Amino acid sequence: MTDLADDPVDAAAEPDAMKEPQEVVAAEAGAHSEHPETSLGLSNMKLAMWLFLGSECLLFGALISTFLLSKARFLSELVVGNPDVIEGLLPAEQVQTMADAGVRGTLSDLPYIFQEMAEVGSVEPIFDIPFTSFSSFVLLMSSLCMVLAHKATVDGDYKNQRIWLGATALLGSIFVGGQIYEFTAFYREGLTFGGSLFGSAFYTLTGFHGIHVTGGILMLVSLLILSFRGKLRSDRAETVELVGLYWHFVDIVWVLIFTIVYLIP
Amino acid sequence: MRKFPKRRLARTGLLVGAVAVLLSACAEDKPLNTFEPRGPKAEAINNLALWIWPIMGVVFVLVVGGGIGLAIKNRVKPEDYDPDDLPEQVHGNPKLEWTWTAVPALILLAITIPTIVLIWDLEEKNEPGELDVMVIGNQWWWEYRYDIDGDGFFEDADGDGEIYGPNGEGGDLDDVEWPLDIALDDDDLAVPNQLVIPTGEQIDLVITSRDVIHSFWIPRLNGKRDAVPGRMNTWSIESPDVGEYTGWCTEFCGLSHAGMRMSVVALEPDDFAQWLADQSEPADIPSATGGEEEALAANGRALFQALCASCHIVNEDPNDPDGVAFTYAKDFTADELASGAAPDLTNFASRAVFAGATYSQYVEVDPDDDNLLEEVGGDGEGYLDLDGSLRFNDAALKRWIKDAPSQKAMDPDNSLGMPAFPQLSEQDLEALVAYLATLD
Amino acid sequence: MAIIENETLALPSGDDPAVERPLGVFTRPRNQTGLKNWLTTVDHKKIGIMYGSAAMFFLLIGGLAALLIRIQLATPNNTFLSADAYNRIFTMHGTVMVFLVVMPIGAAFANYLMPLQVGARDVAFPRINAFSFWVFLAGGLMLNTSWFLGGGADGGWFNYAPNNGIIYSPSTGIDFWNMGLMIAGIGSLTGAVNLITTVLNMRAPGMTLMRMPVFVWMTLVTQFLLLFAIPVLTVAQVLLLMDRNFGASFFDVKLGADPLLWQHLFWIFGHPEVYLMILPAFGIVSEVIPAFARKPLFGYPFMVFSGIAIGFMGWGVWAHHMFVSGLGPLTVSGFAFATMFIAVPTGVKVLNWLATLWGGRLTLNTAMLFSIGLVTQFTIGGLSGVSHAIAPWDTQQTDTYYIVAHFHYVLFGGALFGFIAGFYFWWPKVFGYKLNEAHGKFNFWGMVLGFNLTFGPMHILGLQGMPRRMYAYDDAMGFNTWNMVATIGSFILAISTLWVLVNAFISYNRWKAAGRPDPGPDPWDARTLEWSVQSPTPEHNFDYTPVVTDLDDFWHRKFVEDENHRLKRVATGAELAQPGNAEGVHLPAPSYWPIVLAFSLPVIGYGVIFTLWLTIPGIVLMMVALFGWALEPADDPDVEGHHDGDDHEPEGSDGDDHELVGASS
Repeated sequence: MTDLADDPVDAAAEPDAMKEPQEVVAAEAGAHSEHPETSLGLSNMKLAMWLFLGSECLLFGALISTFLLSKARFLSELVVGNPDVIEGLLPAEQVQTMADAGVRGTLSDLPYIFQEMAEVGSVEPIFDIPFTSFSSFVLLMSSLCMVLAHKATVDGDYKNQRIWLGATALLGSIFVGGQIYEFTAFYREGLTFGGSLFGSAFYTLTGFHGIHVTGGILMLVSLLILSFRGKLRSDRAETVELVGLYWHFVDIVWVLIFTIVYLIP
Repeated sequence: MRKFPKRRLARTGLLVGAVAVLLSACAEDKPLNTFEPRGPKAEAINNLALWIWPIMGVVFVLVVGGGIGLAIKNRVKPEDYDPDDLPEQVHGNPKLEWTWTAVPALILLAITIPTIVLIWDLEEKNEPGELDVMVIGNQWWWEYRYDIDGDGFFEDADGDGEIYGPNGEGGDLDDVEWPLDIALDDDDLAVPNQLVIPTGEQIDLVITSRDVIHSFWIPRLNGKRDAVPGRMNTWSIESPDVGEYTGWCTEFCGLSHAGMRMSVVALEPDDFAQWLADQSEPADIPSATGGEEEALAANGRALFQALCASCHIVNEDPNDPDGVAFTYAKDFTADELASGAAPDLTNFASRAVFAGATYSQYVEVDPDDDNLLEEVGGDGEGYLDLDGSLRFNDAALKRWIKDAPSQKAMDPDNSLGMPAFPQLSEQDLEALVAYLATLD
Repeated sequence: MAIIENETLALPSGDDPAVERPLGVFTRPRNQTGLKNWLTTVDHKKIGIMYGSAAMFFLLIGGLAALLIRIQLATPNNTFLSADAYNRIFTMHGTVMVFLVVMPIGAAFANYLMPLQVGARDVAFPRINAFSFWVFLAGGLMLNTSWFLGGGADGGWFNYAPNNGIIYSPSTGIDFWNMGLMIAGIGSLTGAVNLITTVLNMRAPGMTLMRMPVFVWMTLVTQFLLLFAIPVLTVAQVLLLMDRNFGASFFDVKLGADPLLWQHLFWIFGHPEVYLMILPAFGIVSEVIPAFARKPLFGYPFMVFSGIAIGFMGWGVWAHHMFVSGLGPLTVSGFAFATMFIAVPTGVKVLNWLATLWGGRLTLNTAMLFSIGLVTQFTIGGLSGVSHAIAPWDTQQTDTYYIVAHFHYVLFGGALFGFIAGFYFWWPKVFGYKLNEAHGKFNFWGMVLGFNLTFGPMHILGLQGMPRRMYAYDDAMGFNTWNMVATIGSFILAISTLWVLVNAFISYNRWKAAGRPDPGPDPWDARTLEWSVQSPTPEHNFDYTPVVTDLDDFWHRKFVEDENHRLKRVATGAELAQPGNAEGVHLPAPSYWPIVLAFSLPVIGYGVIFTLWLTIPGIVLMMVALFGWALEPADDPDVEGHHDGDDHEPEGSDGDDHELVGASS
């Protein structure tokens, strides 16, 4: 959640009366240029955001590695019909009944989706690729909206700024909603959080990404509120740009996750 | 006083006597010392170390001596200090610096080559067909499984798969079906706490664990290798001479990490063959009508059945005329015992150690010490072995059975280790010890 | 003020500041002194002092744990501690020393000195800086409350799976370990972002990268290591959290998990961690040795690049912690090779320090002695480190006391000796008085004696086969003598280490009794920019931003080359120093939000451990703090003379332009 702490929404506002943003800059900063002079010529906030995103790369890198390892080991055990792995996927009461009867779980006890997984040696059967492709598309479109929101901010076109910020947040919310739907669907099909390595790793990885998207939506909504209060003028374009950087990063991570988790068998 | 049944005494004496001789012969003060390697693997490691030491020594003298020497030589006393007088302002010397970048790199390269050669040498395994032992870590004891039917791999308990031998016979070790389902296999021999090997041949080990990560380390025979649950690691040891070696678990494995030790006994190949044959025999069932001592042992067996057999196995001959052999349920659940297995006690009394090799099964007594003999029981023949210098460590064993967690840190309330049996009376303990003494 | 928290912050002049007031819930704190000031300060120097003080507090806890360990091991089969207590104590000792002592002392030096050494007035994000400290403290305190609430963690500081699982460690100790370090890790991460931004972006005019002091370089490398290492540990901890508290099965071997996943994640974090603990100390002695040898650091570029090389190579050697885990000979060979060669840049550093001593005129005061102590003792640790790289030999060494000896030579004989050298060196700059030299010498020689008596014998014990983490050993194992020696040494070491604090106390009293004499801005005739301001450092650091033309710029203002290329003094430090005139300088306003936000996190942590209901107030508090922070201007609009934005001065500025925005009154 530190990302939010870095969020430069903390700006004090310009007075609403100020119509021409360029004047604000001139009035406030005197001889200073819009981007204050720094050793690298890059603003501190932007540099900090890049560093933070660099750190996030390692976070998602480690999570994706964990997912790949866990999925592979889950599949290899499922394919050979390891009774412990099978019983992990079954409801506890059913396992207890079977234990009382002195039998171990076999593949045929499992919901059909897992039998299919064992058959094809891939977790692919549980995924609804068209659905997830659609929500991925939605998320990608939200990046486009983000770009437009930034452009509108720079141009001082505050109507469009609000439209595009709102659109970005809305598309992000649709994505998160889709993810929640997907989670419940998978859960109903028998993929619990703790029952298998695949379940644990899948929910953790995509859930972590979902939390990042949610954080981004919160930031977008904050920007929107600022905008409606007239406090997000074009001299604050960098704030929008920073949120945009974060948003694009989260998008790119999703492209990676979508490819690695859903598409590569 | 009770005695071992005579016919068993000779057999037990074989190992215990050997250990006793070894104990006195090898009464060294540092049983884990890596500076005194015995096996060829440990020697190879030590030989590599022996020519690293001088290199390290030279660097040590140069740098540490240099630092101290320069400090003394260039020191300026406070009274001589002149703030305006500066020494020559040398900023660096690239040639010199490249040199002392390159020279250490070359020295390290020279060390790397034999290092890598030895890494591969240590991994070398026997040709298929030689004796392999599987080493299984448990909280907090070791189990050793011998591939006695000689098929080159360790059978899976339910017979639907194999745990492959260290040479990779039959398949890739990584393909092992997990979890280990081998607790009750009877095709191979399971021996807890004490690893017995023949001298003069390399014994390949498959090392794994039932619960947490442990590490198998017999410093005088070889370096260590971790016992990782879900993985089959391979390693090997070899002892050129008859001897006893000790080891200590070297990966932190929870509460009683310090109570997890190893004992390795190397026997002449003939003695080893005899030992193996003895170990493979099922235990005798003491007869309730066979005299005072056997009756006591029979009482002990009844107690064992009621209290101990839920975790510990004693393999008995189903056709034994003296009673109905134990039968066992196949599975533990983690609720009962986190590791899922307790030591197999079929040949309990034949081993020199118990309780994760933390206690000696037999203690030395001084036959000249009348007081001690008094304590042992009257005429001193009671638990004394052949040469009269060893006796069954019944006092420690009783304490252990009655309240094991006070003897070695364990947490039975959380299914970690052996529980206490405060309900046992002194007579019960006598009976149990008498029974355990028959399991040789 | 050189704060660039946002580029355009405040109101154009003439606007009514009252408009802004509803945004913050609290009235901004204004205290210049007292507890409230410390709790809300955003001054990098005060934060640095608090990092150091907190680390000293945790050092007492970790040191006490160490003494308990040594008492237990003094004699064979000792019953002073139970196995359970011993396991918890050694786990907490390691965890506290690594995460709550060595790392924050490094952060203390970085916070206090780095902005001064690059000529900045504060770090890039002062409030985030305060947050970094408070969140570190919150995590550290939460970890230590486990002594009372969960009995302490019992899985070792490395906390290997599956022994860290709920089955094998059913008490809550490991949950505290997990949550506490995760929270403290957030502080390391935000701190890293902040300090890297400061080094890269807020250097004084002319302070090019290759004119930065070596300490700043080492701080930069350290913070980059933190930036990339912390998230990997966080992932490992998240997996553990999910397993222990939410029923996931990442480390459930029954379901096919590989326990080595934890080891890989932990050591991918853990090995860079090792270097980020030692590099700040390398930076410190690289400042101290030239100052007291009165000649420049030998081979500055080599020192810089070897530090960077260590930073890079530190990522490629993690599996040498796992040589006996069964990775296969190919992997082991590769990592043995890589580990060998990380010794090269380290060796270059040691040799360059020796070359700096060569031909120098050495003042052997306490700071210098501790620096030379680092060079020699670290070398011993480095040599045993090379012996670990010899993988076959490592199979005999690993998890024995030989390893314990090794890393204490590196982290105590190395890092901590360097830090104490730094204490003696910069104490007058920070507190305005020098530490007593006689007590300092006692401090040093006591530590050298105690340290080598404690950890020297452990080399022997390890090679004689004594494994680590054993709460008791047998009489017959032959470990008695050296263990007793080590225990005696540990008490000498404890007393002499404590002498740093005793000396601070004694020196302070004498200084006070002498009427608080001014040590002067440059008591050591030293080389870098922090000595060009008054002692103790004025709150605003620099009256005007220095313009840098040289490496060791301050030195080259005092000494100028004559026609024979010999340096001749043209001025003293006191003559050149900035007078400490704060007129027209405006400082960032203190804030309540960093500490509120930081302490909302342990509330969530306790909730995860005890009852999830408790997380709700925690999350509410966190969100309130986040939004309160976000809506609060970096500057207090109520304070007269507030100004906004950045006043980073153009080269050659004399500071007059503060008038532009600052002195409107």
